[in-house]
Amino acid sequence: MLSEGSKITRPEYLRILPEIESPITVRLKFVKLGSLQYISHLDLQRTFNRVLVRSGLPIWYTKGFNPHAKLVFSTPLSIGTQSECEFLDIRLDREMPLEDIKRMLNAEMSDEMYITDVYIPNAKFSDIAFCEYEYELFFKGASEKAADEIKTLFTTSPLNMIKRTKSGEKEIDIASLIKSIEVAFCAEDNAVRMDAVLSAGTDNFLNPEMLITALKERFAIFSGDLSSEWYSIIRKRSLDSGLKEFR
Amino acid sequence: MNKNISTILKAVSKPGRYSGGEYGQIIKDKTKVKARFAFCFPDTYEIGMSNLGMRILYGVLNEESDVWCERVYNPWSDMQEQMKKYGIPLTACESGDPISDFDMIGFTLQYEMSYTNVLNMLDLAGLPLKSSERAEDSPIIIGGGPCAYNPEPVADFFDLFNIGEGEEMLPELCRLYIKMKDEGRYTKADYLHEAARTIEGIYVPSLYEVSYNEDGTIKEYKPKYDDIPKTVRKRIMTDMDSSYFPKKVVMPYIETVHDRVMLEVFRGCIRGCRFCQAGIIYRPVREKSPEVLNEQAKCLFEATGYDEISLTSLSISDYTELEALTDMLLKWTDDNMVSLSLPSLRVDSFTKELMDKIASVRSSSLTFAPEAGTQRLRDVINKNVTEADLLRAVNVAFEAGKNKVKLYFMEGLPTETHEDLEGISRLASSVVDAYYKCPTRNKARQPQVTISVSCFIPKPFTPFQWVAQDTIETLEEKQRYLGSKITDRKVVYTHHDARVSRIEAVLARGDRRLSAALEEACREGFKFDAWDECFDYDRWISVFEKTGIDPAFYANRELSVDEVLPWDIIDCGVTKEFLIREYKNAKNEKTTPSCREKCSGCGANKLGGERSCCPKAVK
Ligand code: SF4
Repeated sequence: MLSEGSKITRPEYLRILPEIESPITVRLKFVKLGSLQYISHLDLQRTFNRVLVRSGLPIWYTKGFNPHAKLVFSTPLSIGTQSECEFLDIRLDREMPLEDIKRMLNAEMSDEMYITDVYIPNAKFSDIAFCEYEYELFFKGASEKAADEIKTLFTTSPLNMIKRTKSGEKEIDIASLIKSIEVAFCAEDNAVRMDAVLSAGTDNFLNPEMLITALKERFAIFSGDLSSEWYSIIRKRSLDSGLKEFR
Repeated sequence: MNKNISTILKAVSKPGRYSGGEYGQIIKDKTKVKARFAFCFPDTYEIGMSNLGMRILYGVLNEESDVWCERVYNPWSDMQEQMKKYGIPLTACESGDPISDFDMIGFTLQYEMSYTNVLNMLDLAGLPLKSSERAEDSPIIIGGGPCAYNPEPVADFFDLFNIGEGEEMLPELCRLYIKMKDEGRYTKADYLHEAARTIEGIYVPSLYEVSYNEDGTIKEYKPKYDDIPKTVRKRIMTDMDSSYFPKKVVMPYIETVHDRVMLEVFRGCIRGCRFCQAGIIYRPVREKSPEVLNEQAKCLFEATGYDEISLTSLSISDYTELEALTDMLLKWTDDNMVSLSLPSLRVDSFTKELMDKIASVRSSSLTFAPEAGTQRLRDVINKNVTEADLLRAVNVAFEAGKNKVKLYFMEGLPTETHEDLEGISRLASSVVDAYYKCPTRNKARQPQVTISVSCFIPKPFTPFQWVAQDTIETLEEKQRYLGSKITDRKVVYTHHDARVSRIEAVLARGDRRLSAALEEACREGFKFDAWDECFDYDRWISVFEKTGIDPAFYANRELSVDEVLPWDIIDCGVTKEFLIREYKNAKNEKTTPSCREKCSGCGANKLGGERSCCPKAVK
């Protein structure tokens, strides 16, 4: 085994904990902000694999030819979107205090991606029906009026857009996938803010970037000079079908 | 992160290359440090992040509390377009600050084809390319790495070069800089002079005047001061066990070329293949002890979480304690789901025991480098392996169920004939035959033998440094000839682009006059020339024409052993007499034993070195 005491974050008791019969699933809630928004799903998986190994947690490995840790992520997050509510289920083969799990993982993470909560899950990822996003839009001509026009655009069905999927292109009405939306102009920093609840079920997932694409196509915002026009998107909460916060 | 950069990143491919924020990066307070160092890798992030040398030197420099070293890579073309459009200069990963504001900028020169990227990066940083045109307060531009052993083609662009291993030299350069600044006596000129005078291994090209003979060869190098060395001797770390070792690694989020622990087992090589530059310039061999390596491997595993440890050194199976080391590693790697890998194997040391230890479930393929197709030519290049060695090695692999073998060869080697080329095809076929003859082979699979043939490039500090490279026509004719000789359907034949190899030869053996061509290339927007999709031979030729450079003078001319070579200004430890002796041995098809069998008196022992096989030099 490894030289002892080399990682101060590893609690002493880990060495004497007995292995349990079937692995326990632990849910991690984490944020993915700033530079981490550019990291793809595949890279995120790779990163978590290494974080888990570095942390020294008693990871449960699949048996067989090519043993690996079992990682299950919730709703996909596309490149360019930040998040305050990502979920990952991991499996451990020892039972240990949840606080220690959080501490050991955070020692290996950064201030742009870290664990905010660790718990034993009750709900299934498939219970997630909606995600709530916060948009900040900075563009020439941002105004009260522009905010109203944007709201009208997104609340008037149909708003047909081309969606590219693995199996080709298809047209979807994105307005019907917007559960609710608030649009406000903020005079102080000359920005338009949107708060949108979008469908996020496995069969009707709406990529929040689609709203930006709509703004580009219909209002020609964000299609010219990126040094004076920019936006950010943050996923704030995941919700179940009754609009209760998913956990 | 800067807001408009953040939106621009949404418009480029692989934005994770530029976003930074990696775990393990070193952040310091820029108002408290006295020297800011931008360590540039003149290629993409994915390649640069995998470079072991850069990992080490990044750590070494940041050990100095008043120095902050940051990483810089060359943005891909699409990102460069965006940067141009919005007036964004080249910035460093950690702080996001423009590198033109730094005190020092270092480039690691790993391959000649990255020279255009060096200039491209200086240009993106908004800095004048030539050292003579840069302002007094503009950063000091430093070059290092294997290509710095012939720094002349890029001499005009650099203020100074590090010759040899940089672990001590780079901090010394920073210390001198800080000291002179603190004492209020810093001027760039004084700094360069003092560095050349007091720090071993520092070459300041502007302090040497070069004159030429009428035939275009070099007449002499003349130092401008009496107190700087006439030739610059390379620096080495004599004791690898106590040499700096980075305990932390910057962990890339995106996939890079080598996502694994790289464990440097030793430096140097005992062999002495006559075409190989690395085999000479890293002499003498200096090993680390297995105990130290085992501790370092554990430390790196814990710091990274990688699931693979690669033992990286030239000809790794020559490590004297390979068995002890792998035994120690296997005691803990298996339990932690970590596999071992060896990048390069010599056929004569490839055994079943070794393969069992490194057996990686993921790879069904093994790679060997016979380099030439006949025993005669292998003797010329001093690749001391035989066909029997190769067949025995592939048999071991086949018996263990492997069915794919990759073989590296070179074409255009000195004295090569069609018979030698045919030998490549014959050798490949006998490997296929060996598969069918192996009774315990994996009968469910077909054998696959891939032969990858590169073009010989005469490199400085090799016994073949004087040899003329074959012309493009000859190289291509040989490629076609070999192709026509390969009839076995189980053999896959690939070869390098001869045109790239020719430009590489020009740059490898170039002198200072090539700076003009490189400057022109940069003006015309050359970059990423090591990438097939960016390389354009005809444009290179036109650049040479415009700047009055005859590429044949550098690539296709047989140099005389008496002439002054551009790289004679550098002393790599190995003497010219030894190289000449080896050149003669090659012509006589005479092999030279490895350093472990018998010392051939190359001269590198004068540099010292612990756990080495050299006889102790009389000082
Ligand atoms: S001095 Fe002898 S043993 Fe040492 S590197 Fe040179 S030839 Fe090899």
